[in-house]
Amino acid sequence: MSNTGKNPADFKDCPAESINYYGNKPSQQVEDREKGRKPTPRANKARELYFSAKSSTSMEFPYWYTRRWEELDGEIPVIRRAESLKAGFEHLTPVIYPGELLSMGKASYLRSSYPMPWLSEAFFMASEDKLYQEALESGKLTADTFTTVGKGGGNVTKSAGKVISIAGKFGLRLEEMPVMLEVAKKWKDRSVDDIGHKYEQMVPGYKEKEAIMRSVICMFDSGYTLPQGREVMNYYYPLQYGIDGIIRICEEGINEVAGYPEMDRLYFYKAVIIMLRGIKSWIRNYAEEARFLASVEKEEQQKAEYLEMAGILDHISSDPPRNFHEALQMLWTFHVAVLNEDAISGLSPGRVGQVLFPFWKRDMDKGIIDRAKTIELLECMRIKFTEIDCFASMGVVGGVLSGNTFNNLALGGLTKDGISAANELEMLILETGISCETPQPTLSVLYDEKLPEEFLLKGIECTKAGAGYPAWVNNQVAMEFLLNNYGHEGMQLEEARAWAIGGCLESSPGSWMPLNLDGEIYWIPGGSAPATSVGVHFISLPKVLETVIFDGVDMRTGERIFPSHGYKLETYDELWQGFRDYFSRAVHVLTLTNNIQHDAWRKISPSLVNSMLKPDCLEKGRDLGQMGARFNTTFNIESCGNTTLVNSLASMKKNIYDDKNFSLEDYRKAILDNFGYHTAQETGSYSLVDQKPAEHFTEYRKIHRQSLDAPKFGNDDLYVDAIFKQWEDWFCEMTHNYRSLYDQPMYACQISVSTHGPMGAVTLASPDGRLSGTTFSDGSVSAYPGTDKHGPYALFNSATCWNHSQSQNSQLNMKIHPSVVRGREGSRKFLELIRSYMRKGGFHVQFNIVDSRMLKEAQADPDKFRSLLVRVAGFTQYWVELGKQIQDEVIARTEYEEL
Amino acid sequence: MDQSKLTGGFIFDIQGFSVHDGPGCRTLIFLKGCPLRCLWCSNPEGIRPFPEPLYKESKCLFDLYCLKACPHEAITVIGDKDNRLLEFDKEKCSKCDTYDCVGVCLTGALAKGGSYIEIEDLYNRIKRDRQYWGENGGVTLTGGEPFAQPEFASALFKRCYEAMIHTAVETSGDIPWKNLEPSLPWLEWIFFDLKHMDGTSHKNLTSSSNSRILENAMQLGREFKGRLVFRLPLVPGMNDTDENILATAGFILSTGRHELNILPVHHLGREKYQLAGMVYKLPGFEMTTREKLVEVQNRFSDLGITCYLGSETPF
Repeated sequence: MSNTGKNPADFKDCPAESINYYGNKPSQQVEDREKGRKPTPRANKARELYFSAKSSTSMEFPYWYTRRWEELDGEIPVIRRAESLKAGFEHLTPVIYPGELLSMGKASYLRSSYPMPWLSEAFFMASEDKLYQEALESGKLTADTFTTVGKGGGNVTKSAGKVISIAGKFGLRLEEMPVMLEVAKKWKDRSVDDIGHKYEQMVPGYKEKEAIMRSVICMFDSGYTLPQGREVMNYYYPLQYGIDGIIRICEEGINEVAGYPEMDRLYFYKAVIIMLRGIKSWIRNYAEEARFLASVEKEEQQKAEYLEMAGILDHISSDPPRNFHEALQMLWTFHVAVLNEDAISGLSPGRVGQVLFPFWKRDMDKGIIDRAKTIELLECMRIKFTEIDCFASMGVVGGVLSGNTFNNLALGGLTKDGISAANELEMLILETGISCETPQPTLSVLYDEKLPEEFLLKGIECTKAGAGYPAWVNNQVAMEFLLNNYGHEGMQLEEARAWAIGGCLESSPGSWMPLNLDGEIYWIPGGSAPATSVGVHFISLPKVLETVIFDGVDMRTGERIFPSHGYKLETYDELWQGFRDYFSRAVHVLTLTNNIQHDAWRKISPSLVNSMLKPDCLEKGRDLGQMGARFNTTFNIESCGNTTLVNSLASMKKNIYDDKNFSLEDYRKAILDNFGYHTAQETGSYSLVDQKPAEHFTEYRKIHRQSLDAPKFGNDDLYVDAIFKQWEDWFCEMTHNYRSLYDQPMYACQISVSTHGPMGAVTLASPDGRLSGTTFSDGSVSAYPGTDKHGPYALFNSATCWNHSQSQNSQLNMKIHPSVVRGREGSRKFLELIRSYMRKGGFHVQFNIVDSRMLKEAQADPDKFRSLLVRVAGFTQYWVELGKQIQDEVIARTEYEEL
Repeated sequence: MDQSKLTGGFIFDIQGFSVHDGPGCRTLIFLKGCPLRCLWCSNPEGIRPFPEPLYKESKCLFDLYCLKACPHEAITVIGDKDNRLLEFDKEKCSKCDTYDCVGVCLTGALAKGGSYIEIEDLYNRIKRDRQYWGENGGVTLTGGEPFAQPEFASALFKRCYEAMIHTAVETSGDIPWKNLEPSLPWLEWIFFDLKHMDGTSHKNLTSSSNSRILENAMQLGREFKGRLVFRLPLVPGMNDTDENILATAGFILSTGRHELNILPVHHLGREKYQLAGMVYKLPGFEMTTREKLVEVQNRFSDLGITCYLGSETPF
């Protein structure tokens, strides 16, 4: 049945209470989640070690990278880049922890990452530094000022003793501080950021872009912040050919192209060889370290394990893996290698259980591995992925990522020939997701009607354990999106099936590669495109509406952002037109400036490790920046605060234009006066529930009440759902009118990640009754916290009022009380709930199975809840490592409880 | 409005994804009006038969816009200066169809509890949820006492049944048989409360004797073709005695049925009493422990009853 048959029939009168933003009444007793199993002792030990580790940064890699870069002044850029990467890899100090079955990490601390000043050197300079001040003035760092980073867990929020806190998250040893500043200075005027900035100013209307960034209508540039990531990895080449094999492919490539036209290919092949030699040394350094540790180890088993590890590392430093353990180590090594070439979040390993299945099956058949050993290895893998940190500015780390790195592992989906792709190894991956709860790799089930019930129920069991994964995403909807967007690049149905989630929730194209094992061909999936979420980052929709209401001025700062739109806003259509005008202006200038930034990125800091991995870069002899990948329609335009925008439009339509309760001028006044309330910064909470009225609030009581009472998205109310559909249909379509750096049409991406916190912080009150500084709605089809009053079905009906395959994604976050899904029947009904949303065409749904009172306790006493995991907006994170804005938002989400 | 001419009925909520009120996943319709006054009632706003203003004192600023706006003079201020409260003459409110008081309240202290809806409008709302129920789910009428609006209930059940929607009801059983009977052909599932087997105790708990309830249960046992599951809301120290367990089990078997669902009574509804202008009278007690529940369950099983605990049902 379609939604157009709706009869809105005055259901707004049904709830026992009017909308009050308080959600349902909780019961007295705090309900715990259904307890999962415990990790193996080995993994448990590693996880305890992780909990005690702090986010740390070191200058080893950037120092050697920069030093080599300096030496090679005048060299061909891609070769210079390869040599610098090689120098970095070669000089990383190997560190191996006792009990590890998988080894290697980004740098020499357990949770380590390092700055990449070749991308941007300004943000990690001390705040008194002149560079920082300059950056602040140009508007780039405003977002940082309004972002809070989680205060607990492994974040180094304050400098202490000999450790300096960088960006409120990373600790740096005091003695390395001068190195950091020295290295940073070397990149002044030469980094991607600085070069990009120099040329982006040539875009007509550039001043408007700066104003947009200062007002935080847009959060973050794209080209130098996180230029890669939000993509699915491909491990086929190392698994099939080994490092020496790939070097041979490159040498053959050189023989073919040297001296012929399109000479760039020559340098690319040469660069890959140089870079791979660096990676070889890096792996061998680890092998050497393992042998050293074995030589000093007294305990027999540990000694044997070190020696085994040395053997594995030695082998994979040149040859393809011979078994599952080696294949998993190879996969991990190359995952880290990519992370070390760029500032990256959202580097998703993809369908690991399907990629590694041929190796695992063969080992199982031969009896050289059993389930217990597999579980131990997979748990070690979870810890390793969790150790990944991403060094970026505070705004990016806290505001967008909440410290999360989005190594999304996908399960299920279909095979190349279109049958269920779920396998036994994936069952074990779900199993270890339950037994060894860690934020990474986060899991996604690519839901398809063809998946077996047993597999789906295993996914339910995992979701119920409460770590927030797996997310449930719609296989068919994603394939439809991919075929629509990549069809012109030659994607056909079969290849569309190879997709996976890249990053938090980005549908990313994949390809099937023929893995030859003992003469048998296995078609394994893997990513075959560069980053699928670059281009125009998060645009704050409520903030755009705010500027429409005030004719182009950001009233928080008094600065004019856009020229006057020229409308009197006398009709709703004029308001909607005004919104489209300003939104389009912002997208236009941001597309052009970000294209320039990405051009600077591909020239100064081209991807080599990732390029080598992605089909068809080796075949074409081109890196990702030269469209070496099979699919290149990968730039997007991102929204934030969808539901807050739509609720605001609905409130204005009803109160100003339809019912004529108030004038636009009334709203302007109310917005400027925050409906008579204190601001969120004053109250210290970012949730609407906790806001306090000021003395003069009686003046605004009527307009505030009627704004709160206006139709709210998430209740199956056609009045507001129609506005939602209008927004979606327009937005998804308009994005195709903009062209990426690679001259491809762009597309809509609708995930808030964590930006709805800091973006809400700089947005005045909105016409839906939301108060100044408070958080926006999260995700893209989630209801505003507490305003969905009729349970999940009504929310689903609203969420699916538009066709989700028009967009790269949609995002629905729900909080469910543990009592609702308790027991066997609870599992079946939970699956029924998810399945029904998928059947309605919903793209994604994810759950926090948690009692909100537990979260409040955790907010008050973080130490007691060090291991509590929650789902935020496309990712799972430790509660204590979330910023307060986001914590408040998660607590306020409507919780579906037993009636 | 002239209530005698209405063809629809009064409801006070619709909730999707109800998982403990019948087989599968369901949409729950809450009907207004109930003959009983159970001490633990968790939906006090569903007791009165007609819509009523719900009053949240904590949000009230006593600006008295509502009092001025009410055309029926149904609102008065009671209590002294430090302890003021609004009182609503719900008799008068039941005759109101404008609810001006709610319209002028700016603080969110007043809301309209319940609304009138036509069968067809309600059905159109229900059918939008059909895809969500899965194989076994459907619609459950609850309340309040659904059979307190007998024509509305039977018409709705018929409408759903004919559209191949699974139908269920949660009833107190304290209604004339003639109010219940018209719904039976369209009903597939009945949850039927047995709050106490002793007449006097039943009256103490619910303000009403159990004689009509037991008669209806016997007749349903004989005549109802669908699944009849009895329910015992367990109130510690009141109806969890061995004597009452024995009597309940014996009675259930005498109806020719054998299924019982035990629901441990909770205090969830307490906060809503003030909303509905009522006083919560259930004396404080600890929630029944898990051990005790299992003990009661085992006792019933020994007596030949198929007994489910709380939401731990096989349906």
